[in-house]
Amino acid sequence: MKNNRLIYLIKGELIRLHKYKVTTISIFIAIIWSVLLFFVEGDIFNSLLPVLILVDATTMSFMYIGSVMFFEKKESTMSSMLVTPSKDSELILAKILSNTIHNFLSTALIITVFVILKDVQISYLLIAIAVILVTLYHTSIGLLLSYYQKDFTTMLMSVMLISFALLIPTVLFMLNVLTGDIWEYILLINPIQSANIIITQSFKPITLDWKYYFSLGYLIISGLLIYRFLVLRNFKNYAVSISGV
Amino acid sequence: MANIFEVKDLKFKYKTNQENVLKGINFQIKEGEIFGFLGPSGAGKSTTQKIIIKILENYQGNIFYKGKDLKDYKQDFFEDIGVSFEMPIHFSKMTAMENIRFFQNLYKKKADVERLMKRVGLWEDKDKMVAEYSKGMKIRLNIVRALLNSPTMLFLDEPTNGLDPANAKILKDLIREFKVSGGTVFITSHIMADIDQLCDRVAFIVNGEINVVDTPRNLKIKYGERRIKIEYKENNKIVEKLFSMEDLGKNKEFLNTIKEKDIETIHSGETTLEDIFIKVTGVTLDEKQ
Ligand SMILES: Nc1ncnc2c1ncn2[C@@H]1O[C@H](COP(=O)(O)OP(=O)(O)O)[C@@H](O)[C@H]1O
Ligand SMILES: [Mg+2]
Repeated sequence: MKNNRLIYLIKGELIRLHKYKVTTISIFIAIIWSVLLFFVEGDIFNSLLPVLILVDATTMSFMYIGSVMFFEKKESTMSSMLVTPSKDSELILAKILSNTIHNFLSTALIITVFVILKDVQISYLLIAIAVILVTLYHTSIGLLLSYYQKDFTTMLMSVMLISFALLIPTVLFMLNVLTGDIWEYILLINPIQSANIIITQSFKPITLDWKYYFSLGYLIISGLLIYRFLVLRNFKNYAVSISGV
Repeated sequence: MANIFEVKDLKFKYKTNQENVLKGINFQIKEGEIFGFLGPSGAGKSTTQKIIIKILENYQGNIFYKGKDLKDYKQDFFEDIGVSFEMPIHFSKMTAMENIRFFQNLYKKKADVERLMKRVGLWEDKDKMVAEYSKGMKIRLNIVRALLNSPTMLFLDEPTNGLDPANAKILKDLIREFKVSGGTVFITSHIMADIDQLCDRVAFIVNGEINVVDTPRNLKIKYGERRIKIEYKENNKIVEKLFSMEDLGKNKEFLNTIKEKDIETIHSGETTLEDIFIKVTGVTLDEKQ
């Protein structure tokens, strides 16, 4: 019974992502990226594709869950959800998993385009693990962020700010602006850097180093802690506050 | 009859409030009755509903549902109840039926949706997007939503607000049918007629306090002025006379009047529940607080 309910909730979320045109937007964005990257050559392409996947799995995860919560608030539908037998954890997981599925598919679309067009060498298994884990993680953070935003505009602003703040050092490092071993250690506590590592190491040739395993473990453990102690614990208050009744 | 709900000394304030919004209210809801909360806007009706359906949690006082502390209930409590909020709430970009099916899948018990949709006259429009529905249709869909798990208890916050008389009648009939089939109803309203027509018992609530709880009939007997108004024709003019109902059979003037005069109309002086509300609480129902 319980598992069925979670599946129905996820199915409902996925249908609404479609009906509220979020999927249309994400396909549109994937096409734009694909067209842009198509005209980029050689080395630049090779360093841009991982950045693109990284941005898609992090910043876009924030955006999608943020907009979903915004629709939910606008229509006061959370109130109806709160008076069903669904548990808080089921409501949250439905949101997080549906958005992860959706964003995973849109990232997969971009990767597929390049595998076909540009003969990208990539481990499908590792990139799938990386994209799913990173998307799950950042969707949860995005949900947590929306707990503290009054409206969609402030949500957008803080998402931009936070992801820029976190992305900038990582991108600088990737583009070899920041150099030196010390940065490798400092940057690892930044989840976007961990995300970066497990994404870039999914490209061939595969040589997984300690940073890969550290990043993987770091994302899984800190993700579970964030879910349990921040996302789940503060959900009910937030849900009531956007219930609009 | 057993009490399905027992509320003792309930106090509540929202985070932003200075004072308590509910100031220690007491009431019981009996199994199988329609229990009404009548009071002006801002009295605390919706707040009370949100507390007894477990949406708002940080209250003081005690609430028992079927003899067990409401706080000890988990999510299975919601298998048992149906709720409609002050505003009709649906996913606007889904059809009525998609909305209903989505919510129904979350429950173990399932009502016959086709029958309900036909009953409220929405079956023909079941595949329309809710965004295309009129306000009246949304409110009717809302009641279907509240009933789709065959609840044993219904909570309705201002259910007829914004409905035209024809739709309001459909809704009131549904509420009565629900009661006849064994259900219990908690209903809030600032509209006197709704409460008067539907409720077995009513609580008057003003400014977070309950002034009185009784049946509408008892309230009328207690506070109403029991008078008879007679109009008769005399010298081509209509004459109006008022008689107290006390010892009416021994009232010579009354008896002579009906014996001798050419009577046009006889009315018992009905004091409305609204008159009584004003008398008991000192405020009118459309007063903002
Ligand atoms: N979310 C809220 N935050 C702060 N105050 C509220 C909130 N909701 C209602 N109130 C206040 O609580 C009081 C009771 O409101 P409510 O229960 O909605 O009354 P009613 O349903 O009888 O109109 C009012 O003074 C109202 O302003
Ligand atoms: Mg209200």
